[in-house]
Amino acid sequence: MKLNTLIQGRQGRIWIDGARFRYEREDGQATEGQFSIARQEEGCQSILIEGRSYRIAQGAGGEVLIDGCPVAADVFDPRSMRSRKSGSSGSGRQEIAAPMPGRIVRVLVAPGDSVEAGQGLVVVEAMKMQNEMKSPKTGRVVEVRTRADAAVVAGEALVIVE
Amino acid sequence: MPYFKKVLVANRGEIAVRLIRALREFGIRSVAVYSDADRASLAVSLADEAAYLGPSPSSESYLRIDKIIDTAKQHGAEAIHPGYGFVSENADFADACSGAGIVFIGPPADAIRKMGSKTSARKIAIAAGAPVVPGAEERISTVEQAREIAGRLGYPVLIKAAAGGGGKGMRRVDREEDLPGALRDAASESLRAFRSDEVYLEKLVLEPRHIEIQVLGDNYGNLIHLGERECSIQRRHQKVLEECPSPVMLERPELRVQMGEAALRVARAAGYTNAGTMEFLVDRDLNFYFLEMNTRLQVEHPVTELATGLDLVEWQLRIAAGERLTLTQHDISWRGSAIECRIYAEDPQNQFLPSPGRIDYLHEPSGPGIRVDSGVYEGWNVPFEYDPLLAKLIAWAPSRETAIHRLDGALSEYAIGGIRTNTSFFRQILADPDFRAGRISTDFLGRHTLLPAPEPALEQEAVAAIALAMNQARPLSPNPVAPASRWLDLGRESLLR
Repeated sequence: MKLNTLIQGRQGRIWIDGARFRYEREDGQATEGQFSIARQEEGCQSILIEGRSYRIAQGAGGEVLIDGCPVAADVFDPRSMRSRKSGSSGSGRQEIAAPMPGRIVRVLVAPGDSVEAGQGLVVVEAMKMQNEMKSPKTGRVVEVRTRADAAVVAGEALVIVE
Repeated sequence: MPYFKKVLVANRGEIAVRLIRALREFGIRSVAVYSDADRASLAVSLADEAAYLGPSPSSESYLRIDKIIDTAKQHGAEAIHPGYGFVSENADFADACSGAGIVFIGPPADAIRKMGSKTSARKIAIAAGAPVVPGAEERISTVEQAREIAGRLGYPVLIKAAAGGGGKGMRRVDREEDLPGALRDAASESLRAFRSDEVYLEKLVLEPRHIEIQVLGDNYGNLIHLGERECSIQRRHQKVLEECPSPVMLERPELRVQMGEAALRVARAAGYTNAGTMEFLVDRDLNFYFLEMNTRLQVEHPVTELATGLDLVEWQLRIAAGERLTLTQHDISWRGSAIECRIYAEDPQNQFLPSPGRIDYLHEPSGPGIRVDSGVYEGWNVPFEYDPLLAKLIAWAPSRETAIHRLDGALSEYAIGGIRTNTSFFRQILADPDFRAGRISTDFLGRHTLLPAPEPALEQEAVAAIALAMNQARPLSPNPVAPASRWLDLGRESLLR
């Protein structure tokens, strides 16, 4: 497995082959060795690297907690990105949910509208920041479950696209 | 013990949970109250009974005296514990309770009124012979009057709101020409926050420590103090970390005796009963000055409980039920050190912006000497309408040094996912050499540059990369927007091989 990484704002790569890994950063620094990983519970796992123990827990969005310290981290695979895209443009209903609690500023579509992938559906304001929620796929708006000025909670379904 | 059969808890969050647990210990039924945002709260599920108050804004729920009293009557609660904040220091609420034949678990309404206004509390303190910060008791009504008083006190001076707290309506003035503008700002800020534009002037004590004394009094004139809490670690005049004993008292135990006696004199003069806290400023030469009184249970009460071995809520209940204080000052002793961190849903990397939202993952620390007073659980949606306090993490150990180590270890175990919290900020404070040496004052966080949080080492970055790579098929953080199907995961997994 070979993936691109973005950790604390710096790009890098991670290779994993069985129980071996190699991590390389854009500045040329690298580390490699044997590792072992064990899931402890949903959201938490133990990693051993050459006998050193780390506890990894889920942090805020885009972060993991390593022994309690937040580390901004993400991994990418161009092929998997492609596969995710083709997957989401397939059949089936998709719920577009509010990413955080806030208020609806504008609803940009109505039930029955045809939408393109990436087209804006609703604008959510949270903590004085406006975010446009985009359609994950090309399709048709089946349902609009919110209205302008409504308060929403995180995870609340706003629009359903089919 | 002539305890109550049922008590209503007029609060939310961690303190509601703390109070419900205390009531349970004594076989008292608890009634929780909740707003729309708190229907699924931990407090509601732990209470024996629960009642809906109103919509999420506190002005329509937790501040509605009429609704709280009605609920208490409907549920047959004989007493109400107001916790801290909300209606806890509202004398009208205490009056409404007695009017309805319900016991208010706190001081008499009269004592709340006397000590609630800082100017009135100051007068009582002076009359009781407690030292106060040099300043003017009278309300400032003209700029000329302020100029005259400030000239007499000597700059820098502090403008403060008579009805205030938490730094609102407070302004530091270093030069005479800044006085008119600062007066205007302080008065309008106070008017907005406390519906009173009454302000007064004080001499600014430089590099002060904020040390408070816990008092306890029964309805028969018995009053004792439970020592101090050092609350100098503040961010924008809000306490974030508190400890008992104060590092100062470890070297100068006689200061505790002097401040304790002063606190008791003020409490006696105010006719105070139940639990209350006298706040003092302590200057570099260890002169102390009475500042104000908090006529309620404090957020930071657990550090006193761990150091003295006494349960403050238990004593609040006993006193409210009409029991006598069976403890004398000689019975009170302090053992070891207790330190508390206020765990907030806020982002220390981003100007401490609040970070409400769903707690996707939660692991609370435990172990010897670790206490977590929490109001949250995994899956709880932290509402954006209220104070961002999630929990209080308190460590006790035989020495301050060990308590710091225990606390740091507990913070490393504390994992809260989905939202940002200030746990890493506390680890920076605990690592600070001045903090460790007890060299602190209320400007510690404002003036002092903490060592930056250590950058993750290369190997830690590798750990993050391995964890994410190995979890790519099943992400650590489930994506709430598009829950991926297991079939998609399998497909992705096979592509990665």
